Amino acid sequence: MNSMDRSDIREKRRIDNRFLSVVFHPAVLLAFRLVVGAIFIYAALQKIGKPLLFADSIHAYGILDYGILLYLAAIVLPWFELFCGLALVCGILLRGSALLLFILNAVFIIAIAIRTGSIVQGGTPFLEVFFDCGCGFGETYAWKKLLEDIIYLLITGAVLAAPVHKYRLSFGRRSS
Amino acid sequence: MKSLLGALRQAMILAASAFIVGLIYNSFNENGIHPIRKPLRVPVIASNEGGAQAGEGIRIIDIEEAKNFVASGGRVLDARTKESYDEGHIPGAILFDYYSFGTYRARVLPMLSRQETIMVYCSEPSCDDSELLAKELYALGFRNLLLFKGGFAGWVAAGLEVEMTKEQE
Repeated sequence: MNSMDRSDIREKRRIDNRFLSVVFHPAVLLAFRLVVGAIFIYAALQKIGKPLLFADSIHAYGILDYGILLYLAAIVLPWFELFCGLALVCGILLRGSALLLFILNAVFIIAIAIRTGSIVQGGTPFLEVFFDCGCGFGETYAWKKLLEDIIYLLITGAVLAAPVHKYRLSFGRRSS
Repeated sequence: MKSLLGALRQAMILAASAFIVGLIYNSFNENGIHPIRKPLRVPVIASNEGGAQAGEGIRIIDIEEAKNFVASGGRVLDARTKESYDEGHIPGAILFDYYSFGTYRARVLPMLSRQETIMVYCSEPSCDDSELLAKELYALGFRNLLLFKGGFAGWVAAGLEVEMTKEQE
């Protein structure tokens, strides 16, 4: 390995470190948590108390048929979002809420991609696929929703992977 | 690894709490659903599918049919919220907010007959509330149901008369 290669690697590491130091900066992490937390709290409040409507929204994905699993998802999913959103905003059980939202977002992305794919196969151009994803924000373009969910996935991933969280409520010993 | 296990433990605490609180809230929510209830598989028949007979399901009607139905004094239910209803509704429509089903069920059902034809509408073609309300009514034994998908927006766009709420309940 010549000196040019070594300096390239050093420069790449320096840039990576600079990027991570920005992403994991306490103020940036707090902003991530507040924004994503507030979005999920709002989304949850749009669905809590309307399980029939949400069950229909889930059913539209064609993944679950009407039955106990679908109804349980319609009843419980908004509460997952609310609890995780509140935990992120308040700074309690941070890594757990980030992990749950990370998993939820991954599932949402897969579900939206499958539904979008089936609509695209029907002849609608990808950028024109427009539906109510049941997310609590009404109808939107599928590509927009996919992009949003990917951003939420990255943010929750950052909150999950952050070595230290400065602004958080702590009960007893600090474990994360 | 230890950090991931800690996150998993926290996630399980959150998930279990949300699950329990969600089920408890649902059992007290007058609009909650029973997780093992039978699905409402009610046929919704499009207006262009000819030959649909009353009692076969919920029939979708267009603005012309809705206009004639209202003009003939037919029973109309407004599935929107009270705020939207108060701001303006189809003349003679009775408020039946789908999301307060338990409340309006007790208030409105005694006024209805299972033999009469009932038209249901909500805000606009993309809203589901009227269809969901119609499905619930179907499950309660109402068989002559008309679904005006154009909703209040369609009614207003057609330049038809609108009624305002005169007195607060």
